[in-house]
Amino acid sequence: MFGYAGKILFVDLTNSVIKKEETEKYIADFLGGRGIATKIAYDMIPPGANALDPENALIFMTGPMTGAAPSSSRIDVVSLSPVTNMLGGSSAGGDFGTFLKFSGYDGIVIYGKSKEKVFLKICENDITFEDASKIWDKDVFESVDYMKEAGREMVEVATIGRGGANLIKMSGISFSKRSLASRGGLGAVMGSKNLKGIVVSGCKGIKVRNRDVLKKTNYEILRKLVESPSYEKYKTWHAKIAPSLLKARRPYFGDYEEEYWEDAEEAAKNAKEFFEKKVKIKSNSCFSCPLRCWAWIEYEGEEAPMVACQGTFSAITFILKIKEPELAWKIYLKMQREGLDIMSTVAVIAYASRLGKVKLGSEEILDFIDKIVNRVGEGDIFAEGIKKAAEYYGVPAVYVKGGMESWSSDIRPFRGISLAAAVTESGSISRAVHGFPESSYYTKPEKAKNVAKKIAGREDIAEPTIYEEKHKLVAHFENEHIIADSLGICDTPLLSVPEELWLKAFAAITGLNYSSEDLHYYAEKIRTLERLFNVRRGLNAKNDTLSERLFQSRFRSGPWKDVGIDREKFEELKKKYYELRGWDENGIPKKETLKKYGLEVE
Amino acid sequence: MRYIGDIMPYLIVHEDKCVGCHTCEMVCSLSHEGVINLNLSRIHVVGYKGEKFPIMCLQCEDAPCELVCPMEAIYKEGDIRYVDGEKCIRCKMCSLVCPIGGVIYDAINHKMLRCDLCGGDPQCAKYCPMEAIEVVEEVPERRKKGVRVLYGEED
Repeated sequence: MFGYAGKILFVDLTNSVIKKEETEKYIADFLGGRGIATKIAYDMIPPGANALDPENALIFMTGPMTGAAPSSSRIDVVSLSPVTNMLGGSSAGGDFGTFLKFSGYDGIVIYGKSKEKVFLKICENDITFEDASKIWDKDVFESVDYMKEAGREMVEVATIGRGGANLIKMSGISFSKRSLASRGGLGAVMGSKNLKGIVVSGCKGIKVRNRDVLKKTNYEILRKLVESPSYEKYKTWHAKIAPSLLKARRPYFGDYEEEYWEDAEEAAKNAKEFFEKKVKIKSNSCFSCPLRCWAWIEYEGEEAPMVACQGTFSAITFILKIKEPELAWKIYLKMQREGLDIMSTVAVIAYASRLGKVKLGSEEILDFIDKIVNRVGEGDIFAEGIKKAAEYYGVPAVYVKGGMESWSSDIRPFRGISLAAAVTESGSISRAVHGFPESSYYTKPEKAKNVAKKIAGREDIAEPTIYEEKHKLVAHFENEHIIADSLGICDTPLLSVPEELWLKAFAAITGLNYSSEDLHYYAEKIRTLERLFNVRRGLNAKNDTLSERLFQSRFRSGPWKDVGIDREKFEELKKKYYELRGWDENGIPKKETLKKYGLEVE
Repeated sequence: MRYIGDIMPYLIVHEDKCVGCHTCEMVCSLSHEGVINLNLSRIHVVGYKGEKFPIMCLQCEDAPCELVCPMEAIYKEGDIRYVDGEKCIRCKMCSLVCPIGGVIYDAINHKMLRCDLCGGDPQCAKYCPMEAIEVVEEVPERRKKGVRVLYGEED
């Protein structure tokens, strides 16, 4: 077998039993990565299970291209999400995925619950459960250092911080000190299993079908990436992202407030200066990627890696209304150390500020994070996520599908993105429409228009507030994300390099000759299976929605003055999306759709 | 094709440019061994926190690996050193004596691996997206002393 490592590891924590399955069993039907992970989740997680039950499975899966092509560092994590109690998923870059393949496994499936606090050490056939009691209440950075020493020199670590250990619903899984599979509260799933972390190393290589073609194609892909005009911009991304998001009209402020934050420009300017002048910054990349999206940041004796492209630092700046980047940096460090999903946590803090529990823009936020992470006092309520907190306090909050906190960008003026936030199974927009034309309409209008035209035949629909044809864009981008997550390629480069080059590299790696249509067929099939997972849990069109407050709020100032979401048009768009997907009016895949994708269930 | 000629190519590392993406290791093991395996790469990205850079054989003029070899298995073709697999007894003395880890033992295929500059067209330099590895024909005399400088035998 080429490209794939060949085996999937199944770890039963209840009985400390480890077994291996051939990856081959899944390849023809579900491709890899997110596809295979979804299939295993569908087969293993009982429809009646809750996310923090031992019956829930936590599935880490790499793709056939992980580690073998440029920008191929991805690993996908799928599980029942404790935030939404629906199918959850998140993906991460870094080096872990590739090292897992070097160890001989395409993926790891964790189920059951360990009696003791453990971490898993995997070195090819040598797999052991190690005592994690000493690091259970340590943060991510300390845990990574501890577990790295438990392995050999070249090891990679996946771990949870105190967030995951204390079953905080906004906790993610950290891959080394940087890359987080952040969304959907997967860290809490890991914590509920008494699993602190996973350490991998290995000397097995990734075998490829055609070395010479792969070398040539990889070179072409690298050149395309390096020669693209946006490549140079990545170098200064950390400094420029805050102003650029403002220009794109994307941030929201405080708790999804209707008034524009007057100090937004100043805050963005301060953040820019902070990265340009005050910190020591060293560009870095994930495995096999030339893009250097992240950097090692040092400031006043403290240091941490920071990914720019997801806009975590900007989310802290804008949503928590912080004018002093020094404070935003402290908050960033804290959340990163606790292993928290920054998007979700800032949304929860902003909501708490509306209840008068914490003051935005102040040092109080740091203490408030401590309260949440350690479940002290009312922190215990906020630790359950924004929806549960809103139910407790009876004050409406903003969230998207299933109670998932929104991401760093406002979704109200962006019709396609609001649709995705409601229909996407995980409720995670960054898993569906990252790089969407609406997002860059005000920064790169030409590119956004071209993309919209290519996909839906109309240039004008790249404009955010237009409802028409957005279902087509959403379906297309969801498919592209599924392809990226299933192959193990990062979505940004996947979208910016011609598809035929990726197909060529895929063929050279695996020996499988697929067309663009084939990949989209897989994507649609996987998308339908994701839907089926939730349908089986009793979900339907009613659940494909956003929180009430999002429909009611209207901007009173700023660039989006008087804009809000029109419920009727939103529902209409949803119906069109279902139709395009081959689902009925209730959002349930039709019989002929199931037949088309060979997913017939009894 | 092996490089035999009047001009000796050297690899120069610009460590400030490296972002630690491991592309050089991927293409090295792919070119030489046909698989992607960091353990079979002749170039290695090392680093601590954000600082990363690749290391590989420096092609020292007066090389300790060659001097220490009890079997005289290390030979030169042009200016590039190779290991004669027939003569080599895998004692790994060359690996031990090199202070930068320029020679590695491949435990999978039971042989010694060292940079052969891809016969004159180093793939790592070609693929490095950051241009952190550069092929040059002329280097300062001091660089030619290679690891002897590190040993303190040269100033």
